[in-house]
Amino acid sequence: MSVRSRLERTLGAVERLQVLDGPGYQLEHGVALTYLLTGRFARPLQDLLHGVWLGHPLHPALVTVPVGSWTAALVLDGLDVTGRGGPGTGAAARTAVGVGVAGAVASAASGLTDWQHAHDGARRVGLVHAGLNSTALALYAWSFADRGRRRPGRARVTAAAGFALTLASSWLGGALSYRHGLGTDHADRSPEPRRFTPVLAESELVDGEAVGATVDGVPVVLVAQDGEVHAVGGTCPHQGAPLGEGWLHRGELVCPWHGSRFDLATGEPTQGPSTAPLPCFDVRRQDGRVEVRRRGNWRGPTATTTVEEASR
Amino acid sequence: MKADQVLIAHHDVLRGLLRQLTETTDDQTAERSRLRDELLRELEVHTQIEDELFYPAVRDVSPLLSLAHAEHRQIDDQLATVMRTAVDDPEFGTEVRMLSATLHHHTFEEEERMFPQSHALGDERLEQLGRQLQERQEELYRSGAMRLIVRLKRMTLRLV
Repeated sequence: MSVRSRLERTLGAVERLQVLDGPGYQLEHGVALTYLLTGRFARPLQDLLHGVWLGHPLHPALVTVPVGSWTAALVLDGLDVTGRGGPGTGAAARTAVGVGVAGAVASAASGLTDWQHAHDGARRVGLVHAGLNSTALALYAWSFADRGRRRPGRARVTAAAGFALTLASSWLGGALSYRHGLGTDHADRSPEPRRFTPVLAESELVDGEAVGATVDGVPVVLVAQDGEVHAVGGTCPHQGAPLGEGWLHRGELVCPWHGSRFDLATGEPTQGPSTAPLPCFDVRRQDGRVEVRRRGNWRGPTATTTVEEASR
Repeated sequence: MKADQVLIAHHDVLRGLLRQLTETTDDQTAERSRLRDELLRELEVHTQIEDELFYPAVRDVSPLLSLAHAEHRQIDDQLATVMRTAVDDPEFGTEVRMLSATLHHHTFEEEERMFPQSHALGDERLEQLGRQLQERQEELYRSGAMRLIVRLKRMTLRLV
């Protein structure tokens, strides 16, 4: 059996571990309670850790700190053991382990914050990922203490074990991103519709309410508000929720699944967990019909001419 | 009563409380406090009977459990905001309407999608589950521990 198919089986087994659901929800309730106790800071704190300000999840960026520091510590330990390190090597390894521990604590906070909103298989994989990482963190904390107590032998063994766990756990983290798409952008980013296309009749709009529709196969949400009509993408970038089932709060569109909020004029998330903006559409009213056209943005203007049309 | 009917009846209680709360004005502070406390208790009971009995029972026939949990979480977070907002605050009504929208979406998801899926369990099982839900619900209404949880929750949410 190939390495890939062995790993595949392992992943499948973890995804089906329904026994993890009970403890998983308990942990989530704990995280939720912790945030509730921070009162008004609960939202800004979670948005900071989700990476709403960054445009994509903060967690993968933060984990480079522990992984990098602990890799450096492994190299330094290796040099020390083989006698090629020089006098400051032990102290440098201790510093690297310590920096890694601090980075791991921050990574855990951001990871837990993202994990709260994972579903089913991804939630179980995430829980195992968190369990392995917490064990690695505990081993490294122990290793750090041992380095201060001049127990270099045991300190190196615990660090090496922690490193192996970190590698295994990183693989699960990769599965969460690349297989489960946790943290990736789920919004429809096609350039369609490139020209004004009718979506629905003006009479179908309800003032102050989100109305879902599909135009050229692209889900959109239309909102009539203060005499203006806004159109944004109908799929939540966070996990693909149908935003047509969402509602308005203080003039912003609320996702029905995890409560992300979006500015209707710009599509920007004003509250996580979504870190990516919604696509926006230009709106015009023509003969009692509402027509929309994909709006260009900072990533690039919308092509109004297809490749086929241009080559004609 | 079948399990889904028991839960729909309780959804009606919740929707009724929220409608009454939405209809209060800024000067009806005592009425608002009373309704809000009642809502907190009913939501706590509702979440508990669903989490404890209904969701585990429908696990094999409905793929919507994670969504239901996510929606409970959103209701819980918004309830916390409502608890933190003073009953005479001009923003109180806005926050209650947000809670109402969140709850309506959740009950819609369950009544239109999850409950029809639960019918795959068969009438007999649903009747039995319905009895369990009602018994547990009555037990929670009488429970001293439940009253304590609700009181603690109310106190901590108002403090922070």
